[in-house]
Amino acid sequence: MNPPTSLKDLERSLYRSSTQDGLIDIQVGSVLLVFAIAPLLSARLGDFWSSAIFLPFWAAVFYAARVFRRSQLQPRIGQIKFGPYRIKRLKNLTSFILVFNLAAFGLGLLAFFGLLEFPGWLPLSILLPAGFCLVGYTLESSRFYLYAIISALTPITGEYLFRNHGFSHHGYPIAFGVLSGTILAWGIILSIRVIRKYPLEDNGGRE
Amino acid sequence: MPEKNTHMEEIDLIIHAPARLKIMMILYVVESLDYVFLKNQTDLSWGNLATHLGKLENAGYVTIEKGYQGKKPHSLIQLTPQGRTAFKAYKNKFQQLLGDLPE
Repeated sequence: MNPPTSLKDLERSLYRSSTQDGLIDIQVGSVLLVFAIAPLLSARLGDFWSSAIFLPFWAAVFYAARVFRRSQLQPRIGQIKFGPYRIKRLKNLTSFILVFNLAAFGLGLLAFFGLLEFPGWLPLSILLPAGFCLVGYTLESSRFYLYAIISALTPITGEYLFRNHGFSHHGYPIAFGVLSGTILAWGIILSIRVIRKYPLEDNGGRE
Repeated sequence: MPEKNTHMEEIDLIIHAPARLKIMMILYVVESLDYVFLKNQTDLSWGNLATHLGKLENAGYVTIEKGYQGKKPHSLIQLTPQGRTAFKAYKNKFQQLLGDLPE
């Protein structure tokens, strides 16, 4: 990474170093697992329960991530509070995320009531990359733009596997399995890198 | 008798030391941070960091708010308004000084 060349760059680099612990990747990857596993469970559990059983799993992952951040990552990375520029930027983004979610919900409702028709892979091919771009912009992290590209191709790949190679469930288990597995693996690698780069050390009681 | 460079004399030497300049730059762009974060960013040893922060604290440029997080001691370091003003003045003075240099 190049050293910062201005105070603005320095602020950005500090922000990035405080958010690149890989936990967001692990959380996002575990959320996307639902698209890989739920179709396989739907025949036995039905559409609703095959997705709903993921709620306790997500709760466990998010709780474990929180505990891991507090007990392992924060003592290594340290803590930082950002100034008004960053807070304003994050507030603007929160409003944008709200609008984005409402739009996605609205589209979902229209599709549910049959007022809007589109191929099954299309909404995910738009919404997932848009979400990843938003996260990439928020965290100022380029790997989320890469995830956006991969996630745009994932439903299309699944559909291709389904139509041309007879994969079940529109190819989602394999396509989303690869996507969520890649993101989860990258998150775990980042977390391990942080732990190795910043070992816990004795500060000689200086705090 | 050689002429004195008055611009150079006006440079704040408390900030001018490379380690303290780095600390001041980091503190200037954030609200507050702790020792661990600052140590990771500056690559200073615990001892050096404490010494430089002590000098900045004595000059009234930073405050170190000592507290606890659970049972562990945890201090937050922040630039004071005086420190912010001093850093701005240092930045302007240095820009002026280097800007005046012939090509």
